[in-house]
Amino acid sequence: MSTNVAAIEVLGLRKQFGQTTALDGLDLVVEQGIVAGFLGPNGSGKSTTIRILLGLLRSGGGTARLLGGDPWRDAVDLHRRIAYVPGDVSLWPNLTGGQAIDILSRLRGGVDTAKRDALLARFDLDPTKKARSYSKGNRQKVALVAGLASDAELLILDEPTSGLDPLMEEVFTECIREVKAQGRSVLLSSHIFAEVEKLCDTVTIIRDGKTVEAGRLEELRHLHRTMVSVVLDRDASVLAAVTGVNDLVTDGNKATFTVGEAELGGVLAAIAAYSPHSLISSPPSLEDLFLRHYGGVGKFAETTVGQKAGAR
Amino acid sequence: MSIATAHTHAVALPASRSGTLTGFWASVRFIVRRNWIRLIVWAVVLAAMIPVVYNSQQEAFPTQAARDAYAQVANTPAVAAMTGLPYAAGSLGGILVIKIWMTLAIALAFASIFLVTRNGRADEEAGRTEMLRSSALGRHAFSLANYAVVGGLSVVAGALISLLCLAEKLPTAGSLVMGASIAGAGLAFVGVSAICGQLSATSRGANTLGVAILAVFYFIRAAADLQAKGAQVSAISWFSPIGWAQNMRPFGQDTWWPLLALLALAIAGCAVALRIETHRDMGMGILPERRGSARASEFLTHPVGLVLRLQRAPLISWMLGAVVAGLFFGGVAQAMTTALEPSSAFAKAFAGDSSNMLDGILGIFVLFTALLAGAFAVQCVTGARTEEAEGRLESQLAGALSRSRWLWAHVLVAAVGSALMLLLGGYLTGVASNGAATGSQLAGAAFAYWPAVLLMLGVPLFLQGFLPRLSTSLAWAIYGISVVIAMFGGLFSLSESVISATPFGAVPRLMTENFTVLPLLVLSVIAVALAVLGFWRFSNRDITPA
Repeated sequence: MSTNVAAIEVLGLRKQFGQTTALDGLDLVVEQGIVAGFLGPNGSGKSTTIRILLGLLRSGGGTARLLGGDPWRDAVDLHRRIAYVPGDVSLWPNLTGGQAIDILSRLRGGVDTAKRDALLARFDLDPTKKARSYSKGNRQKVALVAGLASDAELLILDEPTSGLDPLMEEVFTECIREVKAQGRSVLLSSHIFAEVEKLCDTVTIIRDGKTVEAGRLEELRHLHRTMVSVVLDRDASVLAAVTGVNDLVTDGNKATFTVGEAELGGVLAAIAAYSPHSLISSPPSLEDLFLRHYGGVGKFAETTVGQKAGAR
Repeated sequence: MSIATAHTHAVALPASRSGTLTGFWASVRFIVRRNWIRLIVWAVVLAAMIPVVYNSQQEAFPTQAARDAYAQVANTPAVAAMTGLPYAAGSLGGILVIKIWMTLAIALAFASIFLVTRNGRADEEAGRTEMLRSSALGRHAFSLANYAVVGGLSVVAGALISLLCLAEKLPTAGSLVMGASIAGAGLAFVGVSAICGQLSATSRGANTLGVAILAVFYFIRAAADLQAKGAQVSAISWFSPIGWAQNMRPFGQDTWWPLLALLALAIAGCAVALRIETHRDMGMGILPERRGSARASEFLTHPVGLVLRLQRAPLISWMLGAVVAGLFFGGVAQAMTTALEPSSAFAKAFAGDSSNMLDGILGIFVLFTALLAGAFAVQCVTGARTEEAEGRLESQLAGALSRSRWLWAHVLVAAVGSALMLLLGGYLTGVASNGAATGSQLAGAAFAYWPAVLLMLGVPLFLQGFLPRLSTSLAWAIYGISVVIAMFGGLFSLSESVISATPFGAVPRLMTENFTVLPLLVLSVIAVALAVLGFWRFSNRDITPA
C-alpha cells in the first residue's frame, strides 16, 4: 500500500445524537506503522469516533479517512484491510467460541488456521465451549483471537483488554509488539495508562468530543513539568523562594514540587546549596498528562506525590 | 431482603433430626413471594379455559341430537393422536375432555418443568443458591420447598378446574376426576423436572431435558390412542404418565386409582432428586456440559448459513407446526363438516357463507397454515433487529460484509422458509383430507397466501429501516391485528370490505371465492415497496444497539 497515506486521518469530526453532541471537532491522525493511543474518559467520544471509522455511524461533519478511503462509502472494501476488536464483545450464545472466531474471521476474508490455533493456545481459550458459558474475559479473548489472527494492515481496538487478567494482558502486549514489528498500524483506545505508555508511539487525548492533546509521547512529556522529591538538611519551605518551583508541598525537611524543562538547571543549582540528602526526579507520566486535562492541577499534585516517591 | 428472611427463619426454627430440612418453611415463603404472580397466572388462565371452552361447545352442539351425531364421527385418528381417545363424545363433559383436557394437562406439565427449573437449577447456575446455602439452611430445604410450591400449583389448578366444572353443572364425580387427573399430570412432571434439574448443570439443559421427556411421553400415549380398538384403551398407554392421567377418564368411567401411580411418580422423582443432591457438588450437574465444534463449517460462515443456523429452532418448530396442523386439519375436515350445524352462527362466522361447508372449512384450515408461515416470517426478520440490538451486528459489519447483503440473508430465509411451509402445510391438509381435496389443490390454495406472508416480511423490514427500536413489537402487533381480523372478523361482524383490506383477508380463499390475481398483485407490490424503503433506510442510517 502507498506509505504516504495515513492509516487514519480525522479532522474536525462532528456527530450529534439528538440534542447531545458526541463529537465536536475531533482530530485524530494515525500514521502507518504506528501504534497510536486513544485516551479519554467514559462518554468522551472514543467509541463514537471508532464507529464512524467503521462506517457503522454516519459522520455529522468534518472529514474522516481510513487507509485513504471513505469509511462510509468504501466500508466493505476497507474492512478487508482492517480488524476490529470491540470493548464489549457480544457473541451468539448457542455457538461455540471457535465458531464465532471462524465466522468473524471469514467475514474479513479468511482464516489463517495456524495463527488462529497459536493464538488460542497463547490466550488459553477453549474454543469448544458455547459462548453462553464464557466469562467477560473469555468473550474478549474470542474477539482478540479473531482480530489478531488476521493480517490486517490496521487494527482498531476499543478497550480490548477489559476483563483480561494481568497474565493475559501481558500476552496482548506481546501480540501488539509483534504487529508493530511487522509494520502494521494500531489504534488502541484504552483506559489503562500503563498499557498505552508501554505500547504506543503517539497519544491522542480527547475530552467532550474534542482533541485536547496529541503527539508523540516523548514530545508531550517535554512540554510538561518534571516531578521532583527532595529531602534537605533544613526546613524545605526555603524552596518557595526559588524561581521555577511550582506546586510545592512541604513536610518538614521533605518537599515535592514540579519544575518546567527550562528552569530545571537553575532549580537544581539552588537545591545544591541546601545539601540535599536525596533527590528523585520523574518525568510526567501519561496519567499526569491525562489528569492535568481532566482533574485540574490540584488533584494532579495530590494524586502523584505519594505514588511517585514510592515508584522511583 | 428475601435472603434476610430466609436466614432469620432458619435460625428461629428448631433443626429437624438430620438438619437437612432446616429452613423449609422460610424457603417456601421465599419461593412463593418470588413467584406468586406466575403461580396465579398459570392457575387462573388454565382453569378459565373450562368455562370458555364449555360455553363454545354448548353453542356448537346445542342439542343432544347434535352431540350424538358428533359421537358417531369424533373418533378420527387425528383426534385420537392429538387430544386422546374420545370415549364419551355424546355428552358435554366428554366433549369438554376432547377439546381441552390434553391442552390443560400438557400446559400444567410445562408449568411444572419451567417453574422447578426457574427456582432450582437457574438459581444455582446464577449463584443465588450458593448464597442462600451459606446461611443456616438445610441442604434439602430449598429444593424440597421448590418441589412443594410447584406441586401446590398443580393441586390448586386442579381444584379450580373441578370447581368450575361443578359450576357448569357437570356431573360431580366427573368434575372431581377432571381436576384430579390434570393435577396428577402436573405433579408427575414436578417429579420428572426435579430429577432433570439435578442432572443438568444449566437451566437451559434442565428445561430441554424436561420438555424432551414430556414430548416422548406425549408421543407414547399418541401411539397408544391410535392403536386403541374403539374406546378400549391400548396397553401401550400405561408406558406414559400422561396415559395414566388420561385413563382416569373424567365423565367416563371416573377411575381414581391411576392417580396413585401419578403421585408415586411425583414422590419418587423428588426423592431421587434429593438423593442426587446429597451426592453431587454445588453448581455441578451429573450430565457433562455439552461441547460444540471448535471450527465453523464453510456453510456457517456464509451470511445465509449463519441466519439458517440462528433461525434453526424457529424454522423447525414452525415447520413442524405446519405439518402437524396440516395432517390434523385434513383429518378432521370431513368430521367437522358433518358435526357442525351449517346454520349456526358459530359455523357461519368461521366458514363464511359458502354453500359448500366442506370447502369453507378447508379454506379456514389453509388460512391457518398461512398464519403460521406469516409468524415465521415476522420472527425471522425481527431476528435481524435482535442481532443489531444485542451488539452482534457491529462485529459482522466490521468485516467485509455490506448491510444490504446481511439483511438480505434474513429476507431470503424468511421468504423461502415461509413458501415451503405454505406448500407443505397445504399439501398435507389435502392429502389427509380423505379425498375432500387433493394435495396439490390445497398446496396451491396455501401458496396463494405467499404475497400476504411477504407483506408480513415487508412490514418488519420497513420498520427495521425507519423505527429500529420499535420494530419488533410493532411488527408483531401488526401481525396480531391482521390475524385477529382474518380469523374472527366475521364473528365481530366486520364488513367484508374491511376484512379484505387486511393482508390475510385480501387473499381470495381459493376453495370458496372466485379466484382473482389482482389482490395478490397489490399485496406483492406493497410488500416489495416496503422492503425496498426499509433496505434503503437501513443502508443509510446509524447502527443503533439497544
